[in-house]
Amino acid sequence: MQILPERPMVQALGDSAILVRFGSRLDENANRRAIGFAATLESEEIAGIIEVVPSLVSVLLRYDPLISRHQDIEGEIRLRLHDALEERAGAAHGIGVRFGGEAGPDLEEVAGLLKISAEKFMAQHNAVPLRVLATGFAPGFVYCGFHPDALVLPRRDKVRALVPAGSVLFAAGQTAIAATDIPTGWHVIGHTDFSNFDPAAEPPTRLRAGDSVSFEVA
Amino acid sequence: MAATLVIERAGPLVSIQDAGRFGYLAHGISASGPMDAGAFKRAGVLAGSGGAAGIEFSMLGLDLLVAEGEAVMGWDGGTFEVSVNGRTQSWPSSVLLAAGDRLTISAGTGGNYGYLRFGGEIDVPLVMGSRATSMRARIGGLDGRALRAGDMLGVTQHITNRRAALGLDPRADAGAAAIEGGNDGPRVKPEGSSVFGVRLGNDAAPKTVSGGPIRFVWGLHAEVFGTELREKFVTSAFRISSMMDRMGVRLRDEAAVFAEARILSLVSDPVVVGDIQILGDGTPIVLGRDHQPTGGYPRIGTIISADLDRFFQLRPNAELVFAPVGLDHAQALLRSGIA
Repeated sequence: MQILPERPMVQALGDSAILVRFGSRLDENANRRAIGFAATLESEEIAGIIEVVPSLVSVLLRYDPLISRHQDIEGEIRLRLHDALEERAGAAHGIGVRFGGEAGPDLEEVAGLLKISAEKFMAQHNAVPLRVLATGFAPGFVYCGFHPDALVLPRRDKVRALVPAGSVLFAAGQTAIAATDIPTGWHVIGHTDFSNFDPAAEPPTRLRAGDSVSFEVA
Repeated sequence: MAATLVIERAGPLVSIQDAGRFGYLAHGISASGPMDAGAFKRAGVLAGSGGAAGIEFSMLGLDLLVAEGEAVMGWDGGTFEVSVNGRTQSWPSSVLLAAGDRLTISAGTGGNYGYLRFGGEIDVPLVMGSRATSMRARIGGLDGRALRAGDMLGVTQHITNRRAALGLDPRADAGAAAIEGGNDGPRVKPEGSSVFGVRLGNDAAPKTVSGGPIRFVWGLHAEVFGTELREKFVTSAFRISSMMDRMGVRLRDEAAVFAEARILSLVSDPVVVGDIQILGDGTPIVLGRDHQPTGGYPRIGTIISADLDRFFQLRPNAELVFAPVGLDHAQALLRSGIA
């Protein structure tokens, strides 16, 4: 039996934003559809929309309630949901990572939990490029996925109060890159010099949802 | 007219803000901006609206010294005690301060946030198009941080005639001479007079921070909570806790509305200011202007734009009830401006 994808949900988020959600759990399909819908909104703009924010399984649209009524915006959204969703052709990035040691204090533990050596973990982790699933949580913080089932681990039990910008994080079948100092419950497996947040640059981040990322041992 | 200000004392969370840094949520950066946007605007009108940025202070206020030059300053938001060189001033109001003048703003009878605006612009760089401090992203304002004692701020050239600001006839040389004639006290704009020829209408009148339910629209995960719990949510009183900052305000759930709720961790979605999130232990938290860009806790509703300023001015221990309204109503309130 084929499981049909969930119907997109169009939901008001307060009186100045609407969220379009393509699934209630994170998977490849919902994420691709969210990124695709954000791309559709770039080519088929909705008058009155002042910000489009793609996320893991949803897209936030902000509008000015003094100018637009929510019914009108929702109508325009539904028109565009009937279209075949675009696939955004993202840029490709190579990201060098220093794995283990002080740069990645959880590497050995992660490999141990997966019952493989650290070397084998790095090889499997870097084997195929990942997609940038979304930016979120903190400035320039990106989620990349998905790893195969053999590389899926839950988060740590304890949250680290602060890990430095550039930390490469691993959990839930994903690798994330911290672009600022943040608290995290993810496993810290390495560190990269790749900086994804520069407030002086326009745009201030380099990685976009839909881009492809190849991790390499630095 | 330009000035150099020295911050002599700063309570917690004193920061430079402007209307906000909008448009960067996709990069993981929320807009920041004043917690009480209406009061921020009114203080700007009082100061002559020469600059887009101002200083937001929290309950304990701040003291500053004009080290050089002179500047018109306007204040509003909540009810604070304010004095210039030891002389009590009214709240809200505006004053021309000159070198050697000391402004003291201290805790008053109501509100969490007050605003100090200037006749000119605060001389800090634009970061991503805004001077607003984001303490979360550590950008904007002065080095992306809260202001503290010892900080020096430049206020640039005034764009408007200062005599007009004081309601003085610009041709009255005697008046001008008095202004320049020394440091014997501030020149307070006569109360009820016009500022820069703009009569302060209802818009600019101080809003009382008083009762009335906080209105919200049902949220993304309202259904997750079930009918009975939703009914309890809108019929129970909550209290503002002392755990509040620009990122969020925790509520005390004394009626134990969410005590039994099974809070699921959800896939992260974008969040907006005013979202009422329920944390894993059942604590409700209302997201502030420096909110995270995304969140994975269920949200039962979102406070309507018209009630955000009033909500953020509610002090710790204040009791509040939530009243659901429809989107049409929320948007009509904004358009009518009667909020």
